[in-house]
Amino acid sequence: MSHGEPISAGQGARGESGIRFDHDFDVGKVLRLLQESRDRAGGAGETISTLNLVAIYFSEAAYERARPALEAAARVHPCRMLVLVAEPKAQPESVSARVSVVRGAGTVALERIVLLAHGKEVRHLESAMTALLLPELPRVFVWEGRTEGQLFLHAVESADRIIIDSGTRPLSSLREVAQLVARGAPIGDLAWARIFPWQALAAELLDFPSLREHRGNLQSVRATCAGDVGAEGALLAGWFVSRVKRAKAELAAGAAPEVDSPIPGGGDGTPSEGLATAPVGRGNVVELQFTAPPVTFTLRRERTILTAEVRGDDDGEIVHRVRLPLDTPGRLLSLELKLLSGRDELYAEAAQAAARLVAERWTSS
Amino acid sequence: MQITASEELGIESRARYYEEAGILRDMIQNHVLQLVCLTAMEAPVAFDADAVRDEKIKVLRALCPIDAPEAVTEKVILGQYVAGQIAGQDVPGYQEEKDVATGSRTPTFVALKLLINSWRWDGVPFYVRSGKRLPKRATEIAIHFRRLPHSLFGEGASAPNILVIRVQPEEGIALRFSAKVPGERYRPRTVSMDFRYGRTFAAASPEAYERLLLDALKGDQTLFTRRDEVEAAWKLVGGILQITESKDHPAPFRYPAGTWGPHESDALLNSDGRAWRRP
Repeated sequence: MSHGEPISAGQGARGESGIRFDHDFDVGKVLRLLQESRDRAGGAGETISTLNLVAIYFSEAAYERARPALEAAARVHPCRMLVLVAEPKAQPESVSARVSVVRGAGTVALERIVLLAHGKEVRHLESAMTALLLPELPRVFVWEGRTEGQLFLHAVESADRIIIDSGTRPLSSLREVAQLVARGAPIGDLAWARIFPWQALAAELLDFPSLREHRGNLQSVRATCAGDVGAEGALLAGWFVSRVKRAKAELAAGAAPEVDSPIPGGGDGTPSEGLATAPVGRGNVVELQFTAPPVTFTLRRERTILTAEVRGDDDGEIVHRVRLPLDTPGRLLSLELKLLSGRDELYAEAAQAAARLVAERWTSS
Repeated sequence: MQITASEELGIESRARYYEEAGILRDMIQNHVLQLVCLTAMEAPVAFDADAVRDEKIKVLRALCPIDAPEAVTEKVILGQYVAGQIAGQDVPGYQEEKDVATGSRTPTFVALKLLINSWRWDGVPFYVRSGKRLPKRATEIAIHFRRLPHSLFGEGASAPNILVIRVQPEEGIALRFSAKVPGERYRPRTVSMDFRYGRTFAAASPEAYERLLLDALKGDQTLFTRRDEVEAAWKLVGGILQITESKDHPAPFRYPAGTWGPHESDALLNSDGRAWRRP
């Protein structure tokens, strides 16, 4: 039996220990490597873990892009992090494991195991994951790929929560997401988390004592996205029409984005340091306009500020501004990890309405 | 109540024994029914062999018999593993194991719904499952408390509390309940209070058979089953075997090694609005 080949000196970059299996992948050896890493980290053997964070990618580059976000989330949520990277077309067939531990406040606060499988060896990832999960702790999956396939369905069955980012997927994938949440899949969506400030400001406007009278007369909503219509815009308009059933919704593409990525702010390597907020990415919402004739409410993103204008009201023009939070993927993921169980009814209804809007848009075009 | 006794291992070199025994004789009649007894019995009047066994036998006698084809269909799910993956390794199916007959109908997995006819346990199902080539080795008793009739704090807060007694590995007790996530909003989340013998007491627990051998030398029969217990356990299991081993009974459902048994096992609980715990 092959016992695998340790990566040079058994110690990889960033304090990671590594082992590679060309044949006979052995989870026991990975666990021993983890124990050695814990011992090397020194001190008492106490570990703080609040969850199993399982992140699944289909290329190593995708994992490296997401790595800062995962690390940022793990700083807030002590966990065992399992990263599964499946590259079925890569050769030679092998499974590599990289293990590291991070100490904080005198205890092990992060145990990270990265399994990278090439070729047919990807079939071992799921059973290896089962063996490496900590018992009794919630399981949260971060899923980067399409929301379909056997592996995804198994994740849906066994996860307490699955976190996706529909902003990184084609708009058409909202339909699959809507079907899954309709069946009760515990999905959290970073694209949904990115539009919280828009929702909060829209709700706040309609709660102004002088503007409440218009709530009964809301008739239309239009979400405009940078460059192309993205999931964020569809979800925002979907949220609106799921709350105001009679409103007509429109999705529109606006001016070109500042960066081409849908997840700026560190998620794709775009530097976020020094920025007061993430730059506007492709598909990000830049304007939300809703009407209650003769009144028009316009929420507009201007770099770091979300501005609301109300025109046509008897009391005159109102301008309201709020500063946008620095919504890096790491911060959004940390927020989503607080919600480890339960179904988000608002999201479920918004996703279904968004999927309908996207379908209607295609039909009409 | 959910009792799980799962093994990653297959039948190793014991095919000749296992072909005759199957999971019901190998695990249910003895190990699993003992766990049912220890969970459901009333407190004994004294901690001695006869007092403990007197209470256990009452549980076995109160078990609702499963000795009619309809009852077996409703309450018994048998399975047999096919090739799959466990802990990152390919493993063969049962019928590919050495010395196993082609077309064997020997079950390697069973899920049962047991009912106890007593005042205390009326209406409380005991779901038990045991199998080979399951995703992990685990023996545990999970006591699911009743769901709140009305939750003040939303859907997540109404998840029932669960008390888990881990028999092996990582012997210990865990209590799962809902707690409020810190912050301004009222968001409940399931959390766990977890006691593990290995982390609390430095001394290792003796192996199971070490303890039994010592008790045998000392003449302490508390952990040994009495003849009437054995007979009562066989009465239940024999009733099931008589039906499941008849030629007319369907073959066991197939399940890939490394999964928690056939889908029908999940359906057994789903039809009652419940789901198996993940050990």
